[in-house]
Amino acid sequence: MKISCNILKKHIKNSDKIDFLNIWDKFTIRSAEVEGIEIKGQNFDNVVTAKIIECEKHPKSEKLSILKVDTGEEVLQIVCGAPNVRVGLIGALIKIGGHIDDITISKRPLVGIDSYGMMCSGKELGISDDHSGIIELPEDTPIGIDIKKILPIEDIIVEIDNKSLTHRPDLWGHYGIAREIAAITGTELLPLELADVNYDGKELNVTIENPDLCYRYTSLKIDNIKNSKTPLWMQIFLYYAGMKSINLTVDLTNYIMLELGQPMHAFDSRKVNNIEIGLAKAGDKYTTLDGIERTLTDHDLMIKNDSKYIAIAGIMGGLDSEIIDDTDSIILESACFEASTVRKTAISQGLRTEASTRYEKSLDPNLTIIASKRFLRLLKDENPDLTLGSALTDVYPNEFKEKEVILNKSLLYRYFDFELEDEAVKHILESLEFKVEIKKDYFKVIVPTFRATKDVTIAADLIEEIGRIYGYENFVPKPVKMDLNFVKQEPAYDEGYIVKNYLATKYNCHEVHTYLWNKTSFLKEINITKDNVKLLGKSEDNILRDDLNLSLLEVAFNNIKYYDEFNIMEIGTIIKDNENHKMLSILLCGPQKDLKNLYNKAKEMTVNILRNLKNKTPIFDFGSSETYYNQDLIQDIIVDNNIIGQIKTFNKNVNNKISKKHTFVVLEIDFEKYLNFDLDKTNYQEISKYPSTELDYTIIMKRGEYYDKLSKILDEFTSPIIINRKLVDIYLEEKTKKITIRYIVGSKEKTLTSEELQNFKDEFIKFLIKNELNIVKE
Amino acid sequence: MKEELKNLVEMATEEAKSIKTENDYLNIKSKYLGKKSKLSEYMSSLKDMTVEDKKKYGPLFNKIKNDLEALFTNYYENAINGEEKITFDPTIPADEKNGSLHPVTIVAKEITDILKNIGFMVLEGPEMESDYYNFVALNVPKNHPARDMQDTYWLDNGALLRTHTSPVQARAMEKYGAPIKMCVPGRVFRNEDLDASHENTFFQLEGMVIDKNISISNVIYVMKGMLREVFKQDVEVRLRPGFFPFVEPGFELDCSCTICNGKGCPTCKNSGWIELCPCGMVHPEVLKMSGVDPEEYTGFAFGLGLTRMAMMKYKISDIRGFNSGDLRFLDQFNVR
Repeated sequence: MKISCNILKKHIKNSDKIDFLNIWDKFTIRSAEVEGIEIKGQNFDNVVTAKIIECEKHPKSEKLSILKVDTGEEVLQIVCGAPNVRVGLIGALIKIGGHIDDITISKRPLVGIDSYGMMCSGKELGISDDHSGIIELPEDTPIGIDIKKILPIEDIIVEIDNKSLTHRPDLWGHYGIAREIAAITGTELLPLELADVNYDGKELNVTIENPDLCYRYTSLKIDNIKNSKTPLWMQIFLYYAGMKSINLTVDLTNYIMLELGQPMHAFDSRKVNNIEIGLAKAGDKYTTLDGIERTLTDHDLMIKNDSKYIAIAGIMGGLDSEIIDDTDSIILESACFEASTVRKTAISQGLRTEASTRYEKSLDPNLTIIASKRFLRLLKDENPDLTLGSALTDVYPNEFKEKEVILNKSLLYRYFDFELEDEAVKHILESLEFKVEIKKDYFKVIVPTFRATKDVTIAADLIEEIGRIYGYENFVPKPVKMDLNFVKQEPAYDEGYIVKNYLATKYNCHEVHTYLWNKTSFLKEINITKDNVKLLGKSEDNILRDDLNLSLLEVAFNNIKYYDEFNIMEIGTIIKDNENHKMLSILLCGPQKDLKNLYNKAKEMTVNILRNLKNKTPIFDFGSSETYYNQDLIQDIIVDNNIIGQIKTFNKNVNNKISKKHTFVVLEIDFEKYLNFDLDKTNYQEISKYPSTELDYTIIMKRGEYYDKLSKILDEFTSPIIINRKLVDIYLEEKTKKITIRYIVGSKEKTLTSEELQNFKDEFIKFLIKNELNIVKE
Repeated sequence: MKEELKNLVEMATEEAKSIKTENDYLNIKSKYLGKKSKLSEYMSSLKDMTVEDKKKYGPLFNKIKNDLEALFTNYYENAINGEEKITFDPTIPADEKNGSLHPVTIVAKEITDILKNIGFMVLEGPEMESDYYNFVALNVPKNHPARDMQDTYWLDNGALLRTHTSPVQARAMEKYGAPIKMCVPGRVFRNEDLDASHENTFFQLEGMVIDKNISISNVIYVMKGMLREVFKQDVEVRLRPGFFPFVEPGFELDCSCTICNGKGCPTCKNSGWIELCPCGMVHPEVLKMSGVDPEEYTGFAFGLGLTRMAMMKYKISDIRGFNSGDLRFLDQFNVR
């Protein structure tokens, strides 16, 4: 919102004591954030009021005129291209030696005739967008005077961040900002100049059908408005504030909105008889001022005339009740609508206006009367002969009263950590127009209605008021004093970090972050369809993911252009069965021929994560998963009889759609299950003092058989002297698979005798024969 | 004498380097330690010395003799055994194959470590969240305009993607009660269009302290201290009013620009301040709804933009790198 310091000055006593250029840092830390400050009227100098006393056509140019212009001191010859030049017009003349937008004005010929200066348009002076002709000043303007002395061209325009005002309906007008400035600077806010409304006649016919949605409706008929020209000072202000000047009545409604924060609407009184405020009928059509036909719902609050819609309440008027220039009679609306109704309609109609933005903040119902009287006062300035066509009609079913809030001193001191004198508290609150009674243990505070609609309702709100005006910079930082207790950390964050750090350092994994939803175009690319919880209001990238591996596959897909081999990982949320689940997923990418190595690497990683970080030894078994995985290469990871994850690869179709040169192995672990495992104690065993013996056996299997089959058989063979058994080598022949295993045998008590060793060998051979296994004889 | 001995040792050391064969070895031994050597001469002159000199030089001569003998032998053995022939180039650069943690993870770890140092718990919470925890429990009832401030991703199951890490405030109070000191690093979601400075998925860090006498002065102390630890330099902080329904009073916390130290630069838009973190005193309604008595307890809470902190720390100007999965971006980071 743009704030004009010229307008603020009008409302503050002794405002010349305030440095309006530098006060805004303080305003930022006391009240609301200032986004920028713009100094107006700096782009020109040496512009005086001057009257055209002669006007002739240029002999050699269709467009140009030759003027004689009286500056009060001298008469100058000016060549001018504006179409609106005429004798008697008082305009703004920039003299020789003057500057405008970094150009120095000098005597120069225009199509052969010398011009001793330039008549300026409103645009050139930076006070309007009008460049269709030169600016026309009122007839009674004295000539030869610096234009900046008679018009408020010099101003400081301050842009305040609207987002920092969402909770402050009172700051949506200059008067409220002036109140804050006065409180901050210790100056005095001047009362508003209002008009008296003296009319003995009838009130207007106004009915509020939904008093819960329209708190107050104040209206007034004003006749005999002959002058519809907005004074220049107001035009300049509206322009600086970012609004367009239309005509006096419309400009005044906007001016009051910018000054007081109260939106107003003026109807052409020829078109309005009986005003009703009520809900629309669903499906009805209505064309607003902007020419757009809108379909209404039964949530939309409307202003109606004899049951015909004439405005959407608090948002925008209609095309057919628009003020026409030829009217001299208006019905003024100054109303208070319920905030969320206006907000809902503004959102659903996609029509956020200056008015609706203000209504959404919960305006003070008491503003309607003040605004009406202020409007009348300013209108009278331009139309001294106006008459009233009705009494001030005020329909106000439920009066909104000031609120009383009790502020306990002990609570205030607890929040502040120091004691503030009673008088200081009272002074601060009173500067913001709160009423304060000091009691022994508390303050009895009456909250003014313009703060009580929602902003200030409890003691903590008052503490904020006192704190910010006292100045947070005056608080001394203090360490927190708390009992020294032991804090038990939840494992999720720490363990997540440890795993990621382990994978990054030991296995060169790169941590990636991916979106919580599937990317539609990617799933299409690899021909996978998914259904899951969906984001509303979106038709793409709207299905939440249930498989983190696919997110990583997409990342891999985007990286294979630059890298042939890499490992990536993420601990991320997936949504399955309507629940959040946290997964650890690792993807290994490499050349297709390295599938075996990558797969084994994934297995090694699994074993090492669980062994190094949890002291657990996982076992593996064949498992199943979605069809886009290679069904022959799915291995469940089993810990303590729980399947906690899988190692798998994508099926050929998916893999080849990503790349025919690369292969991808994924390792996923259900991270919640992982977190639930305690760290097992390391199973320490004393080192044997006696030597051990290695015995190698090469067992012949069929070529297609898995090691796992053999391993399971060998698990059945037990002996007290076995220390360890491991796979040493696998050698493939045309039809056979030769698997070399190694037993390490020994005893903790003694060195094994040769009989004991022989015994073991005999038993083992017997076991092999029993299980129909052949070995390669040495 | 001393000077002469020193020269002798130097000469012998130098000459020892040229021992290649057994012959060299025998020759040098005979030259420096043999019967006709200088050292032998010195040793035989011992008998004519005073008792004092004898005590002084006797052990010295012996030491020199032993040292030289060991030196010659060492060189000789090295010469005949020989070092293995070097078959690789020891000057080639190190293999820089490294993994990396996400920059947000690194920053989160730094900040949670700082907060753990003053006894904070580190908690997590769900990304798919209920309307109750994301809004209602934080004093944002239905139809509250504050819901507009955060463009929410609503889901077809009635839930939503959390718009901030604040729901964990309520969850933590329900679980642990008061007093409590906790922080929550986590991912949040806003329905926004992507550009260089806007992401729909980013990270925040929530912090909350509740106890019997928590004050605004405490907020300033903790925030200032935390930022000093994060930026590893003293920073000024300032509070200004800010509106968030779940705190009252609510603040926007600015810190002095770490780039220009508050003098004004493009990063801080010449204001000298950087808007860093919304914070405030926990709203009494929020305490009440989560079962903490606001008459007895007060507390403060803050929300720090972790993604933003990472952007500041590494001077990353485009937010879109974070979720891109682009290894050219991620590979630049380390594991801390």
